[in-house]
Amino acid sequence: MKPATRMFIKQRFTDYYQKKRISPPASVKEREFGFIFFDENYPDDIRMRRHIGFSSNDDLQEYVKSLVPAHAYYSTAYYRTPQAPTMADKDWLGADLIFDLDADHIVRGSFEEMLKRIKAETEKLLEVLENELGIDMRTVKLVFSGGRGYHIHIQELGFRDFGSAERREIVDYLCGNGISPSVLLDEWGASRSGWHERYRNILTGYLEDLSKKSAKDIKSELSSLRGVGQVTADRFSGMIPDLLPLLRTSPSSILLRDQTVKTILNALVTEKESPLLPLIKEASIQVDEPVTTDTRRLIRLPGSLHAKSGFKVVSLDLKELPDFDPLIDAVAFGEREVPVEAHKEYSFSLLGSQYDITKGKTKVPEAVAVYLCARGMAEIGGEPGSAS
Amino acid sequence: MVTLDLKDLAKYPFLKESQTYIGAISSSLEHYLESTGGRVAIREAMLMLEHALSFSGKETPSIPEIPPEKEAVMTIIATYPVSRIMVSCAQDRMLIERLVRYQAWVVFAFLQDEEPEIKRFIRRSIGLPETGMDISVIDYIPVASRMAEERWRLVNRVVEKGKVRIRPEEYDEIVRERLRYIMSRNLPLKVPSRICDQVKPAIERIKAEWQKKVLEEFGQVEESAFPPCMQAILGALTGHGHLTHMARFAVTAFLHNIGMDNTRIIELYGSVPNFDLRKTLYQVEHISGRGGTSNEYISPLCATMRTHGICVHPDSICSRVTHPLSYYKLKKRDLNKQKYQKQVKDPDESMKKRVESEGDQSDTNTPDCIPSSTDNKYKDEKST
Repeated sequence: MKPATRMFIKQRFTDYYQKKRISPPASVKEREFGFIFFDENYPDDIRMRRHIGFSSNDDLQEYVKSLVPAHAYYSTAYYRTPQAPTMADKDWLGADLIFDLDADHIVRGSFEEMLKRIKAETEKLLEVLENELGIDMRTVKLVFSGGRGYHIHIQELGFRDFGSAERREIVDYLCGNGISPSVLLDEWGASRSGWHERYRNILTGYLEDLSKKSAKDIKSELSSLRGVGQVTADRFSGMIPDLLPLLRTSPSSILLRDQTVKTILNALVTEKESPLLPLIKEASIQVDEPVTTDTRRLIRLPGSLHAKSGFKVVSLDLKELPDFDPLIDAVAFGEREVPVEAHKEYSFSLLGSQYDITKGKTKVPEAVAVYLCARGMAEIGGEPGSAS
Repeated sequence: MVTLDLKDLAKYPFLKESQTYIGAISSSLEHYLESTGGRVAIREAMLMLEHALSFSGKETPSIPEIPPEKEAVMTIIATYPVSRIMVSCAQDRMLIERLVRYQAWVVFAFLQDEEPEIKRFIRRSIGLPETGMDISVIDYIPVASRMAEERWRLVNRVVEKGKVRIRPEEYDEIVRERLRYIMSRNLPLKVPSRICDQVKPAIERIKAEWQKKVLEEFGQVEESAFPPCMQAILGALTGHGHLTHMARFAVTAFLHNIGMDNTRIIELYGSVPNFDLRKTLYQVEHISGRGGTSNEYISPLCATMRTHGICVHPDSICSRVTHPLSYYKLKKRDLNKQKYQKQVKDPDESMKKRVESEGDQSDTNTPDCIPSSTDNKYKDEKST
């Protein structure tokens, strides 16, 4: 990034922070803050200044307004002394329960497609949190990350002192990690929802597809799983016609202690190359696991700007999610024309308009210029004076 | 309203009521520890820790008798906080775990023959419903996250609208684990150093005892008993593969926990590309508690390994444990048993056997490892 481009983004950010107040997290005094600034070497050599504490919301606003960070974060944890330089001295008091949904981990495609997909995943998560885990939705804060996803902050007190192991139990539930075929099938009942029903559906679908293949193909597919021999695969292939009707009507009557059934069903949920795993993944909610289990994580500050996209980190009401479009609602800048020089051709939509940018010098609205420059797709071009 | 007598307070020393009662006997902790009563309590706490160290965690421990004299009962109540102070000063996570496990089991044993009214009171005071079989997700998770069997995983439970269904026969285990959770919640306590100084001689003795125990438990390092995850990491390590920070941490802490000395651990790292002796030395010493940090690290739980994608090829032993160290212990015990059986057999017989067993190694290994079923295992645990 050329110095002029960096300067342009910083100036736009300065302007934004002059006018807008950021939304402070609950208990500002107990949070650690971290910032990345537009230093000389930004964005090639990124350094975070962390272990920062504020005694009031006003101090935080003043700091951001005068120093204009490229990226702003705060701790999901609460500390007695958040500004202490080491983790041990901070004195951890608890942490919000956080889920990070990032399209990067789920799907490839255009920015627009990724945002759409991750929104659907977020809606799925909110549904499971409410209907299965029974979380009080009044304690749930939803935030567009300013990048390719959403953050869910749960401030319900009951979770606050959960350690990593406890948080992992929740993540494993959402992601479908650690499924036990025998337990889930054995305890299946007609009114079951959750994983009992999800797993039964996945397995039934898989076995239906498998049963359409030749005996030889079934055998080779199953015996390719680690720990499954030719004999077991062959025996299981013969059992599929009997298993399918049972799976549909009364899974608990399947002989789950039968060694062949046990070996195959277990291998299908544990072995890395199992064809069942992608199906489980699809039925699960693909949250970024380490983010939830880390009780000392820094997360983006709502209301701040994301210097790699130029977008706002937006706090949302749960009911706003269906109509929320980051490509319109998270755009922080206006339509004044600015000259840029694009590295190549780009095509995308922003603020409800389609942009087909050609390689080389061109003039675009300020919001588009910030987006292009922040994402490293263009440099600011033309008369330097026009950027201020 | 339940009325608790002095004897109840001694049986359930973790209750707020017990702590309030004992808090009133002395003007300060420092004074108390210097008093005759305090010195007796330190001695009793040491005895309790010795019991805790030799307690297997599999069967109900014998219930300590509660004497009729008031003084003696007060000492029993005081032993609870004193023992907690001692392990907090010792700053050893494993020692803390052992103590809490033992104390939870003792309370659980008392509860078995308890009046229904008091039973209900205790359940309520540890945040479980007095009756009924469903507990909230928030109360369930801290308990279940410490239990090994897969049936306890939230993903395998019936979870509806924030309630987790518990079967009647599972209730006892829930109560015990909940006790353990409640008791370990605030540990280690922040104890002022002058108090730690007062109990220092007792701690030194317990630590020495614990060292001996670790040696007995883990003995010589037996690589063939390593869990599949650690074998995979070591394989990558010696095969010049790239390792994540978490994998390095996990294997280093594991090797340290089972008693491998730092020199040998560092040697293993010697084969890694871009091996940096100074950095490795720092990391290994930091993890093993010798780099100026007072706390030793324990290698991560199976669940953590899973989250970081380094739990690979789990086998039948894995389904019985939540921790790679438990795997190691179990497997090592099985291996030793097999070795011993081979030795005692008639040499000719054993020759023949060996030829047979080499053909199908898995069969000779498994009988001790695979529980016949989850249900049977549960019954076994209860009856032994």
